[in-house]
Amino acid sequence: MAQQANISELLSMLDSSALGVLDDITTVFKENLNSDRGPMLVNTLVDYYLETNSQQVLRILTTLQEPHDKTDTDVVILTTGVLVLITMLPMIPQSGKQYLHDFFDVFGRLSSWCLKNPGHVTEIYLVHLHASVYALFHRLYGMYPCNFVSFLRSHYSMKENLETFEEVVKPMMEHVRIHPELVTGSKDHELDPRRWKRLETHDVVIECAKISLDPTEASYEDGYSVSQQISTRFHHRPTDAIASPYVDTQNSYGNATSTPYSTPRLALLNTPGQLPQVLSFSSTRLSTEPTQATIWSPSAVCGMTTPPTSPGNVPPELSHPYSKVFGTPAGGKGTPLGTPATSPPPPCHSDDYVHISPPQAIVMPPKKEDRLDSVRPCLHRQHHLPNDRGLEETSDNKSSVTLSDLPEFLGDLASEEDSVEKDKEEAAISKELSEITTADTEPVVPRGGFDSPFYRDSLPCSQRKSHSTSSNTQGPSVSTELLTSSLDKLGPDTPKQAFTPIDRPCGCDNESPAGNRESQTSLETNILTPSPCKIPSQKVGFGSGQPPPYDHLFEMALPKTAYHFVSKKTEELLKKVKGNTEEDYMPSTSPVEVLDRLIQQGADAHTKELNKLSLPSKSVDWTHFGGSPPSDEIHTLRNQLLLLHNQLLYERFKRQQHALRNRRLLRKVIKATALEEHNAAMKDQLKLQEKDIQMWKVSMQKEQARYNQLQEERDTVVTQLHSQIKQLQHDREEFYNQSQELQTKLEDCRNMIAELRLELKKANNKVCHRELLLSQVSQKLSNSESVQQQMEFLNRQLLVLGEVNELYLEQLQNKHADTTQEVEMMKTSYRKELEKNRSHLLQQNQRLDTSQKRIVELESHLAKKDHLLLEQKKYLEDVKLQARGQLQAVESRYEAQKRITQAFELEILDLYGRLEKDGLLKKLEEKTEAAEAAEERFDCCNEGCPDSLVGHNEEAAGHNGETKTPKSGSSRGSSGSRGGGGSSSSSSELSTPEKPPNQRVGPFSSRWETTVEPSTSIPVTVGSLPSSKSFLAIKARELFRNKSESQCDEDGLTNNSLSETLKTELYKDPNLEVKAPLGLDNPHPSPKNQESVGQLRIMDYNETQHEPS
Amino acid sequence: MAEDSQRNFRSVYYEKVGFRGVEEKKSLEILLKDDPLDIEKLCTFSQRFPLPSMYRGFVWKVLLGILPPHHESHTQVMMYRKEQYTDVLHALKVIRFVSDSTPQVDIYLRMYQLESGKLPRSPSFPLEPEDEVFLAIAKAMEEMVEDNVDCYWLVRCFVNQLNNKFRDSLPQLPKVFEQYLNLEDSRLLNHMKMCSAVTKLPYDLWFQKCFAGCLPESSLQRVWDKVISGSCKILVFVAVEILLTFKIKVMALNNSEKITKFLENIPQDSSDAIVSKAIDLWHKHCGTPVHSM
Repeated sequence: MAQQANISELLSMLDSSALGVLDDITTVFKENLNSDRGPMLVNTLVDYYLETNSQQVLRILTTLQEPHDKTDTDVVILTTGVLVLITMLPMIPQSGKQYLHDFFDVFGRLSSWCLKNPGHVTEIYLVHLHASVYALFHRLYGMYPCNFVSFLRSHYSMKENLETFEEVVKPMMEHVRIHPELVTGSKDHELDPRRWKRLETHDVVIECAKISLDPTEASYEDGYSVSQQISTRFHHRPTDAIASPYVDTQNSYGNATSTPYSTPRLALLNTPGQLPQVLSFSSTRLSTEPTQATIWSPSAVCGMTTPPTSPGNVPPELSHPYSKVFGTPAGGKGTPLGTPATSPPPPCHSDDYVHISPPQAIVMPPKKEDRLDSVRPCLHRQHHLPNDRGLEETSDNKSSVTLSDLPEFLGDLASEEDSVEKDKEEAAISKELSEITTADTEPVVPRGGFDSPFYRDSLPCSQRKSHSTSSNTQGPSVSTELLTSSLDKLGPDTPKQAFTPIDRPCGCDNESPAGNRESQTSLETNILTPSPCKIPSQKVGFGSGQPPPYDHLFEMALPKTAYHFVSKKTEELLKKVKGNTEEDYMPSTSPVEVLDRLIQQGADAHTKELNKLSLPSKSVDWTHFGGSPPSDEIHTLRNQLLLLHNQLLYERFKRQQHALRNRRLLRKVIKATALEEHNAAMKDQLKLQEKDIQMWKVSMQKEQARYNQLQEERDTVVTQLHSQIKQLQHDREEFYNQSQELQTKLEDCRNMIAELRLELKKANNKVCHRELLLSQVSQKLSNSESVQQQMEFLNRQLLVLGEVNELYLEQLQNKHADTTQEVEMMKTSYRKELEKNRSHLLQQNQRLDTSQKRIVELESHLAKKDHLLLEQKKYLEDVKLQARGQLQAVESRYEAQKRITQAFELEILDLYGRLEKDGLLKKLEEKTEAAEAAEERFDCCNEGCPDSLVGHNEEAAGHNGETKTPKSGSSRGSSGSRGGGGSSSSSSELSTPEKPPNQRVGPFSSRWETTVEPSTSIPVTVGSLPSSKSFLAIKARELFRNKSESQCDEDGLTNNSLSETLKTELYKDPNLEVKAPLGLDNPHPSPKNQESVGQLRIMDYNETQHEPS
Repeated sequence: MAEDSQRNFRSVYYEKVGFRGVEEKKSLEILLKDDPLDIEKLCTFSQRFPLPSMYRGFVWKVLLGILPPHHESHTQVMMYRKEQYTDVLHALKVIRFVSDSTPQVDIYLRMYQLESGKLPRSPSFPLEPEDEVFLAIAKAMEEMVEDNVDCYWLVRCFVNQLNNKFRDSLPQLPKVFEQYLNLEDSRLLNHMKMCSAVTKLPYDLWFQKCFAGCLPESSLQRVWDKVISGSCKILVFVAVEILLTFKIKVMALNNSEKITKFLENIPQDSSDAIVSKAIDLWHKHCGTPVHSM
C-alpha cells in the first residue's frame, strides 16, 4: 500500500505544470516499468488514466514495449479478461479480426478449463468463468459465425477435445439459433470491413443478442420473434403478477413509496462531495466504479425495465433522458388500470425515486443499521422486478437484476462483504413476502403454482436462500450441485433432479424470518391499503413541485405512438403471462442463471457467514466452498466480489448498448410522431384546401351556370346569325339564279343582236342589191324612158309620117299614074344594090377566114422557129466545144512548134557562137559570108525553098531582134494566142510584129499551105474572103424581110421556104462564127463561100432533120 | 430501149460465174456511142470496171485529153497530134538529139523534154530522176501501145497528169500506205517498222513510176486504168496487196535492204491476182464509185 501511495503521489505530480518535474516523473515511471515486470504499476497507471484522462499517463502507457501481463491461472483475471474481450469485441470488430484465432484459442482453452480445471480453482470461480465463456461463445458466434463454427469444427474434431465439446460447448450451442450468416455469409465475408462499417457497437451487441436463444441474452427486436416457448419459459416469477389487480397493487405500492424518497434523491444529486467518503472503502482499482455506481444507482435499479443513459454523460443531463426514457413504460402501466389519463406519468416518477432510494438507504445509513430498513427498498425492487419484467421483458429479468445491482452490491461489498448476499436474501424474502401478499390479495395465484415446473427456476433462489439461512453448510453444496447439474445435464431430461431438493415451497415460507415477513406484509399492507389513495399521492407528487418537467412535453411529443406502443406491449406481455401456465419447464439452465443463483446463494452464505464470522470456531466445512481454509475465505469472497463486479460491468456495458439503441429507436419514434403531426397538419391543410376547393367548386358552378347562360345566349345569337346567314345565302342564291337568268337572257340578247346584225347585214346586202337593181332598173327605166321618148318621137314621126303618108297617099292617089314606072325602076336599082353588097360581104368574110388561118400558121411557125433557135444554140455550144478541143490540139501543136523553134534558135545560136569562136582570127568579110552561107544552109535544110531568101534573111534578123527582146516577143505571142487568133497568119504576124502584116503573110502562108491545103480549104477562104456581113445581121434582116413579105400577100409556100432558108443559115453559123473572129479586124467580112456553105447545109440539114424527130 | 433489148439475157449470170467485162463491154460501147463523149461517165466506168483491151487505147486517149469528146473532130485532132509528133521528131533530128538508131523510148523522152522546154544542152547530159520515171513509164507504155504517135502522146499526157493532177497527192501516198497496211495487217507493218524498212520501201517505183517495170504490162494496164481515170490511191492498195501477198517472205526477211530488193523484183506470175485483189481492196476501202449510166 505504501508503494501504491507513492505511485499515486507520483501520478498526481505527473499532471503538474512544471516541465522538469514532468520529465523526471516520466523517466521514473519508465525506469520502474522497465525494471519491474509486474502488472502492478501498469494497472495503477491505467486506473489513473481512466480516472483523470491524463495525457501523460497515456503517453507512458503507449510507450510500453513488453507485455506486462503474465499467464496465470487466476480465475478472476481470466474472467475479467474474457469479459473485457467480450466488451471490446463489438467495438473493434474490424481491428480485432487479426486476433480472431487467438480469441478462438482463448475460447477453446477456457472451455476446456471449465471442464478440467487445471488451476484447481474454486468451483465458485469456475461458475463465473463458465458464465464469461458462455458470453464469449455468444459473442464470437454472433460476430464471426462462420469462422467460429469452422474453428469449433476443427478444434473439437480432435478426440482429446471431444469431452469438452460434449460437456461444455454443446450445451452452449443449445442456446443459440442458427446464424443466418452461416447460410449467406462466408469466412471472408465476415471479416469484410464493409460488414462492420454500418454497424455501431450496440448494433453488434444486439446482433449477437438476436441469435441467442437464452432468454437472458436474447433480444426480441426486429422480428426475431423468440419462440413463445422460450420467452414464456421464464415467466414463472411474474405468475404472481399475472392479474391486473396485482399490478395495481404494485403501482400503488410504488406510488406510495415514491414520495418519501423524492427529496433524498435530489439531495444525493446535489451532494456529490459525499461520494469520496463512500468510496473510500472501496479499493483503488474499483474507485472509478463507485462514482458511477453512486450516480447511477437509481438508474441501475431502473435498468431492469429500461437501460439508462451512458455513463459518460454529465450529471446535469441525467434527468432529461432519464425521465424521457421512463415516460413510455410508465405510461404503459396505467393502461391496464383503465385510468390512462392520470396514472401513467406519476407511477414512473414514483418508480424512479423508489429505485433511487435503495442505495441511499444502504449507503447513507451506517453499515450496521437495521437490515429491515435497508431491505425495504430491495423489496420494492424485488417486487418491481417481477412486475415490470412480467409486463415487459420477463426474459431479461434475472440477469438484469443481478447486473444492475452490481454497483450497489459492490458498494455494499466495499462497506460490507456480504451485503450482496444479504441483499439477495432480503430480496428473496421480500419476494416471498410479496408472493404471500399477492397470494393474500390474489388467491388466483395460489401457492400450488410452485408445484408446476415453472417455479423450478424462479423459486429455487428463495428456496435456496431459505435453505442457506436454515443451514449454512448446505447452501453452497446445493449451489455446487446445481452448478454441476446444470453444467452436466443441461438437457431437458434432468432438471428435476437438480432441483428436487430445493423444490419445497412450503418449507421456504416457513423458514423465512417471520419478522421480516411481517414487516413486509405490514409494509405491503401499508402500501396496499392506500391503493385507493394512489391518486392523492400523485397529487402530492405534483404539488411538491417535483413533477417531471418533460413529461407533459413528452406526452405532447408522443401523444399516440407512445400510448399505442405501451398498450400493445402490455397486451402482448399479458398474453404471454397467461400462456405461462401451459409452458414446459426449461430443459437446461444457462451459466448466467447458474451464476445468478450462485450470487444469490452467496448472499445467503454471506449473511450467514457474517453472523458466524464472529464465531470462527464453529466447525463449518469450508472445504465445500473450494477446499480453501477459512483463512482464505475472505480472499475468496473478495475475488468472488471482483468477479461479480466484472460481471456487473459487463452487464452494464450491455445495458448501455441497449440504452443507445433505445434512444435511437425513440428518436425514430419521435420522428414518426413528428411525421404524424406533420401528416395531421397536412390533413388540416388538406381540409382547408378541400374547403377552398368546394368554394371554388361552388364558384365554378356559378361560373358554369353563367357560362351556360352565356353560351345559351351565344347559341341563340349564333342560331339567329345562322338563320340570317341562311336567309342571306338563300337570297344570295336567288340573286345568283336571277343573275344567271339575266345572264342567259343577256346571252340570248347577244345572240339575238348577232342574229339581228346578221340579218341587218343581209338586209344591207339586199338593200345594196336592190339599190343596184334599182339603179339598173332606173337605168333601164331611163332607157325605157328614152325609148319611150324615142317611141313617142317615133310615134309622132309616125303620126307625122302617117299624116305625110296620108298626104302622099292623097297626093299619090292624086298622082297615081305617074309614079309606078319610076318606083319599079327604083326597086330594081335597090335590088341590084343589095346583091352587090351581099357579095361584098361574102368576099369580106372569106378574106377574114384566110387571114385568121394565116395567123395560126404564122404562130406555129414562130414556135417552130423558137424551138429551132434553141436547138441551134445547143448545137452552137456543141460546136464550140468541138472547136475548142480542136483548138487545144492546135494550140498544143503550136506550142510544140514554138518549142521546136526555140530549140532551133538555140541550136542556131549555139552554132553561131561556135562560128564566132572559130572565126575570131578571120576577117570581117569572111565572117559575113560565112554567116550568109550558114543562113542559106539553114533555110535549105529547113524548107528547101530558095524563093524566100530575103524573107528569111529578114526573119533571121528578126530572130536576132527577138532574141534581144525575148520577153516582149513571148508576151506578145501569148497575147496573140489569148486573142483567139489560131490562124497561121496571125501567129506569124505576132511573132514578127515589126514587119508589116502583108509582107509577113506571104511567105508563111505559102509555107503552111503546103501542109494544110490538102485537108481543108477553110483557111484559104478565111484568109482571102473577108465577110461582108455578120451572121446575126443577115438573119435579122432576112427575118424582117420575111415578115414584111408575109404581111404582104404571100401564101404558105413562101413561108415554108423562108423557114428552110433560115434553118440553113443557122446551120451555117458555126462556120461563119469561126470566121467571125478572124474578121474582127475587118468590119465588113467578105460573103461566104457558097460551095462550102452548101456542103455544110446539106449535111447539117440532114442531121437537123433527124434530131427533131 | 433498143440498147436494153440488145443486152444479153445471160448478163445476170456472168458475174456469178466470174466472167467479167462481158456486160461492161456493152455498156462501154453504149457510152462511146454518145457523140460528145461524157468524160465523167467514162471516168466512173473506168474506175469501176476493167476496160476491155480493144477500147482501152481509145478511152485512155479520151480521158487524158488527147482526143476531144466530139467524134467529129477526132480525125482532125489526131492529125494535129501526129503532125506535132513528126514536127518535134523532125526538130530533134535536125538538132541531132536523136538519130534513127536512138531507142524509141529515148526519142519519147527527148520529145517530151523538148516540148516541156527542159531539153538539155547536150544529149550526153545525165538524166534527171523524173526522166527515169518518164523512161520507165514510156517503156511500159511502149509495150502496151503499138503506134508511136499514140504511145508518145499517152506517155506525155500520163506523165503530165502525174505531175499536175497528182502533184499534191502523190507525196502523201506513203503515209496512206502505212495507214492501210496497219488496218490490213498491223503485224506486218510492225515487223517492217522493226526492220526500219518502212521508210526504205520502193516508193519511187510504186508511186512515181506507178509500178512501171514492177508489174507486167498486162496487169499494169489495169492499174493504170484507174490512175488515168483519176485515182492515184489504187497505187497504195496495189502496194499493200503486194506486201500482203508476199507477207510470209517479207516477214522472213529482217533486213530493210533485202525487203526493198525483194519488193523491187517481185515475182511476175501472181501479179494479175495481186491487181485484182488490190482493186477489190480499193473498192472495199474507198467505196465503189457511183456508176451513173
